[in-house]
Amino acid sequence: MSKTRGPLRKLKKLFSSRWLQIILGFTSIVAFVAVWAFVSWYLVESGSGNAPYVPGPRAVADAFFSSFTSVPILSDPEIGYYVTMWDLAESSLVRVMTGFFVGLLLAFPLGLLMGSLRIADDLGRPIVEMLRPIPPLAWVPMFLLIFGSFWGPAGIVFLGAFFPILLNVIFGVRSVDPTLVDAARTLGAKGHHIFVKVVMPATIPYLMTGVKIGLGVAWMCVVAAEYIGISGGAGLGYWINLSSIGHGLYSYTYAAMIMIGILSVLTTGLAGLLEQRFYKWSGMK
Amino acid sequence: MVRNEVSISFKALSKVFVKGKKQIVALQDFSLDIKQGEIVCLLGPSGCGKTTVLRILAGLENPSSGDVLLVGKPIKKAGPDRGMVFQEFALFPWRTVRKNIEFGLEVKGVTPEKRSELSSRYIDLVGLKGFEDAHPKELSGGMKQRVGIARALANEPAVLLMDEPFGSLDAQTRNLMQKELLRIWAATGKTILFVTHSVDEAVFLADRIVVMTARPGMVREVIEVGLPRPRDRTSREFISVRGKVLTELDEEFEKARAKELSPD
Repeated sequence: MSKTRGPLRKLKKLFSSRWLQIILGFTSIVAFVAVWAFVSWYLVESGSGNAPYVPGPRAVADAFFSSFTSVPILSDPEIGYYVTMWDLAESSLVRVMTGFFVGLLLAFPLGLLMGSLRIADDLGRPIVEMLRPIPPLAWVPMFLLIFGSFWGPAGIVFLGAFFPILLNVIFGVRSVDPTLVDAARTLGAKGHHIFVKVVMPATIPYLMTGVKIGLGVAWMCVVAAEYIGISGGAGLGYWINLSSIGHGLYSYTYAAMIMIGILSVLTTGLAGLLEQRFYKWSGMK
Repeated sequence: MVRNEVSISFKALSKVFVKGKKQIVALQDFSLDIKQGEIVCLLGPSGCGKTTVLRILAGLENPSSGDVLLVGKPIKKAGPDRGMVFQEFALFPWRTVRKNIEFGLEVKGVTPEKRSELSSRYIDLVGLKGFEDAHPKELSGGMKQRVGIARALANEPAVLLMDEPFGSLDAQTRNLMQKELLRIWAATGKTILFVTHSVDEAVFLADRIVVMTARPGMVREVIEVGLPRPRDRTSREFISVRGKVLTELDEEFEKARAKELSPD
């Protein structure tokens, strides 16, 4: 019995372990790339007119890595002027972070206010409900015209991040366990104590949910906002437009798309890490 | 333990809840005096307003009419002179045991040194030594309620209000916590008003048991337990008091059930 049980258990352990997760995850990525390579190859072989639009993984990888030394068109080797993927990513990242943090800094206190004060909610709610259904991207042309190439996209990001954070914080304030408030009151807490020592900490998990959603929306916003021709401080969105429709360098388009994916995952991951640190520090989970 | 001065005095307390067009009389003409250092248990069928009595005394709700006096002074709002212990513990999950216990002291503006001195004293009293830095989610139900009791006591209130504090604990822990409460009571001499569903718990803890009527809640009967402590749950005397309380209560349960079946 024990002879067969030993290795069997080991095998079972292996397959239920984190390693299996990693292996499975890796396998699915390999499968995805393989399908991609096949589609690209097939389009070329069958002489399809769409073949140029689907470069293979190899070409995209080449474009991706070479972009870190310089991207074509924007760079001018003759005068030694190079624009790299780092530059493009930095421009987009700074716009995202600016818009996002302005959104966070406004949405958190406003959410606390609207969540806890009836009059603030009555005043703010109609405006929120009027503006929220308008997709942030609908504002793109007007924001670019009014605010220019930096604050225009940053403003779109702001709109995208602001509402999810605001609504989550309002919801968080309303979800505070009323017995905690009762407990605080019987311990002698007045309104401002309850706000600072009960409502605010209880709302932070909801704030973090809003932050993560807001960050995801922020990246969608910046790409679309940059997409409509911003040459000043060109970002990834601009390069996606220029490389594809402008110059037919489709491998570079995909390379820039991958970069956006990476940045979005990184920033959202960072927020998730921050959230976990908060939970660990506060002992809430 | 029990002194003769009156600690809490309910004078013709009534509470009417308005739900839409319906008026629900939760309490009617509830009058009761509780002496200093006394343990009084409120017992009655669900919805008889026992918790309402406690919440009015805590200042969490206002009576529709009548008065509550604490050592002769009428109660207007919640305050640290009445500590409350909740069935759901109501601990702040982001605060450690020590920080939970110090909440009332922080609010009062007590200096950090004095705060930690006081919280240490109550951590010792309720038997939480070694758990000062734990968060509530790391504690068992019984331990959580020890924090709840210490937190209420740290404010050094005149009275302790307990709303089915052991209702969500398992039977063993519940019995242990009842003994612990009596130990803490003996050490602090607090007046305790204790709401419970359990006849056994009431007979084990109380100096007097107040049996309330089904809604609208009134005082049906006040029973002196009159048994020396520590009480033996298996003794003849204990069982006889228990029987007496049960008989009173059963009638009210029947009335509550009849009312439920034929709503007005």
